[in-house]
Amino acid sequence: MIHPIGHNPFATRSVRPGALDYIFPTDLRVEDVVERLRAHGWWGEIVGPHGSGKSTLLETLRPKLEAAGRHVVAMTLYQGQRRLPPQGRHQGEWPTPAQLVVDGYEQLAMPARWALQRRCRRARAGLLVSTHRPTGLPTLLHTAPDLDVLTAIVNQLTGGDFSVITPEDVARAYLVRGHDVRETLFDLYSLYERRRRHDR
Amino acid sequence: MNTPRVTLSLDAKAGPYQPGDVLRGQYEVGILHSAEVKAVELSVLWHTLGQGEEDLAVHFFERLAGEEGDVLDLRAPHAFEMMLPNSPLSYDGVIVKICWCVRLRVFLGRGKDVLTERPFQLGAVPAAQMLE
Amino acid sequence: MARILRPYGKKRGERRTGSKRLGSYGEALFFLCVLAMGAAGLYVMLAEWILPEWRANQHFAEAECTVLGTRVGTRQVDNGIQYYPEVWIRYRAQSQQREAWTYKLAPVYVGDRPAAEALIEGFEVGQTYPCWYDPQNAERAVLVRQYTWWLWLLLVVPASFVILGSAGLVRALLHTSTSAERRAALVQRAAGLELFEDNQAMGERYPGIPRPSSINDSPGTHLAYRLPIDVSPGWKLLGVLLICLFWNGIVGLAIGGVVSDFVAGRGSWLAAAFLVPFAIVGMGFIVALVRQVLVTSGVGGVRLEVSDHPLVPGEAYTLFFSQSGRLRMNSLAILLVCEEEATYRQGTDTRTARQRVFEKQLYRRESFQVRPGMPFEDECELVVPEAAMHSFQSQHNEVKWELLVRGDVAGWPDYERRFSIVVYPQGARVAAV
Repeated sequence: MIHPIGHNPFATRSVRPGALDYIFPTDLRVEDVVERLRAHGWWGEIVGPHGSGKSTLLETLRPKLEAAGRHVVAMTLYQGQRRLPPQGRHQGEWPTPAQLVVDGYEQLAMPARWALQRRCRRARAGLLVSTHRPTGLPTLLHTAPDLDVLTAIVNQLTGGDFSVITPEDVARAYLVRGHDVRETLFDLYSLYERRRRHDR
Repeated sequence: MNTPRVTLSLDAKAGPYQPGDVLRGQYEVGILHSAEVKAVELSVLWHTLGQGEEDLAVHFFERLAGEEGDVLDLRAPHAFEMMLPNSPLSYDGVIVKICWCVRLRVFLGRGKDVLTERPFQLGAVPAAQMLE
Repeated sequence: MARILRPYGKKRGERRTGSKRLGSYGEALFFLCVLAMGAAGLYVMLAEWILPEWRANQHFAEAECTVLGTRVGTRQVDNGIQYYPEVWIRYRAQSQQREAWTYKLAPVYVGDRPAAEALIEGFEVGQTYPCWYDPQNAERAVLVRQYTWWLWLLLVVPASFVILGSAGLVRALLHTSTSAERRAALVQRAAGLELFEDNQAMGERYPGIPRPSSINDSPGTHLAYRLPIDVSPGWKLLGVLLICLFWNGIVGLAIGGVVSDFVAGRGSWLAAAFLVPFAIVGMGFIVALVRQVLVTSGVGGVRLEVSDHPLVPGEAYTLFFSQSGRLRMNSLAILLVCEEEATYRQGTDTRTARQRVFEKQLYRRESFQVRPGMPFEDECELVVPEAAMHSFQSQHNEVKWELLVRGDVAGWPDYERRFSIVVYPQGARVAAV
């Protein structure tokens, strides 16, 4: 019997930042966050622990920032990257009005952060960052997903089909992973694969 | 802009395709009004799924574009066929999966495009087992 | 709102904002400007300096001239005066007698008069010397012919603008309403060009499968091919040694400082307590180093050879094994394993996940000794399961087959050696490369 290549709703292409919209608490919308950013002169930070959805939130905000007339210059800092990539250092090339979006701001060394802030002030550019701990910029939002948000994410990924991964599985994995959404989704990927193979 | 009605199908076949088999199919692009079809690209490709970043490689690629100022009329079925390669075979792994498909991309005006896909299986590699 | 220019590349995902087409045209315009600047610079350098100098050295006709006089000229520049040497010569060119002030093709400017005079002190009035004149303009003649090497080196600057601008322009134009599939097809066509024909042939016949050439270039002494070890234990030892030295060196200096403070009567228990975790880590590195030394020195060389390569599912091969060293083995096992490996970026993290999907013990031997100079050798059968997945490699994903040699040594740390092999699809007829 031919088994089609098994679709796993928790595959990287489905859960990476940009693939899913950030799920806000019921009393908050993405437009509210943009307004908060605007109220602080387009400067702000999104604070949250590992795997809490900061990168996803930045991706969700991008089109709203563009719609608000900001020209987004985005960059991501990976593990150990202490310096900005070139597009963050050459403010002469920034369009106007520029909105710098830096994912992983806490990776930058302090002098690099000061230099970036100076450049942004000179160029009258906005600065929106994601970070694990407050860095002194106006805090727009603390990302702290709860189980309801995670269940909503799983619902989105599975199309509401909880026959393979149940809400109890989601709750258990969330607890085991210390409320880290990203790690929980990785675990659910493995669990889905295991169950799918077992059921075959 | 009117979205065209795109039909992409593969000829019926019992069992999976094997390396060296000929893949046959056809597509047609139905246009309701005077929507402009600038170009059509047909690709036969494999891509990965799973936990890793997605990789992709094209085995067969064909692009049909209208002459300067003309629009393409693909209301009549357009057949295609090509020989399938030796590798990589379709693979239902645990964290690495390899999927073959035929992808049809119809380019409309103003930078828009419509994507249609038909998966198929190459080879008969059994699903991988999860070893703890 | 559509943007005119997109100053950065798409970071991830399929999402785009603004007008793709306008963004691509803006990018193309930028690179066109870069190309134009490079082309203009290249033209000026070639036309004004490089080509005339080359003509002077290659095409000027030789004649004999008489020196009538010398002088040092001056010119005013922003930061002072520059001096240049000139020689007044009389020469015959194209059946006519001519006179000219000259030295080299272009004036040579120096910072002081004595330096300029030194350049022409070898030319005496009334003496004859060789000179060279331009056949196309006999009025132009030179006494000295040389290549100005730094001028040629400067060509790199406009040339790099031209290369960058051309590449960027081509890329931008290709990306204008270019799909991911079309770009992948173009890249594959370019990447398919190989230096060696047989590698290219293998790659074209079996795309997505690693080339077996690194193994097939290594003949065995007992069987056809010797399998290269994945990570040499020597390099591992060096790595552990360097880390151990670095860490313990720094921690040692700090501890020395704290101890001398105590001896001098001004020690701080807080400073001492602060160093404790670092010292614990340092001891861990020392233990790891000792372990690695024991493994590397005691275990000796492990060699695997195979009767044919690459492998094909369902076919039987012979595996030859050799273990040298001075060891009392509790057990030795050889396993055939298949692992999947996937690399991904999530947020700011880069991770690699591994999953073993097949494991089979091919060989096991218990309670035996290996003596120095008398390596333990044996053979066994190797069969890759029917319909098994072949080896696969792409930028972020891999399916790899390996042979593991696991040794359980009495009174010694256990060891494991990994050897990569390449498996082709079932039914493949692969000629040895």
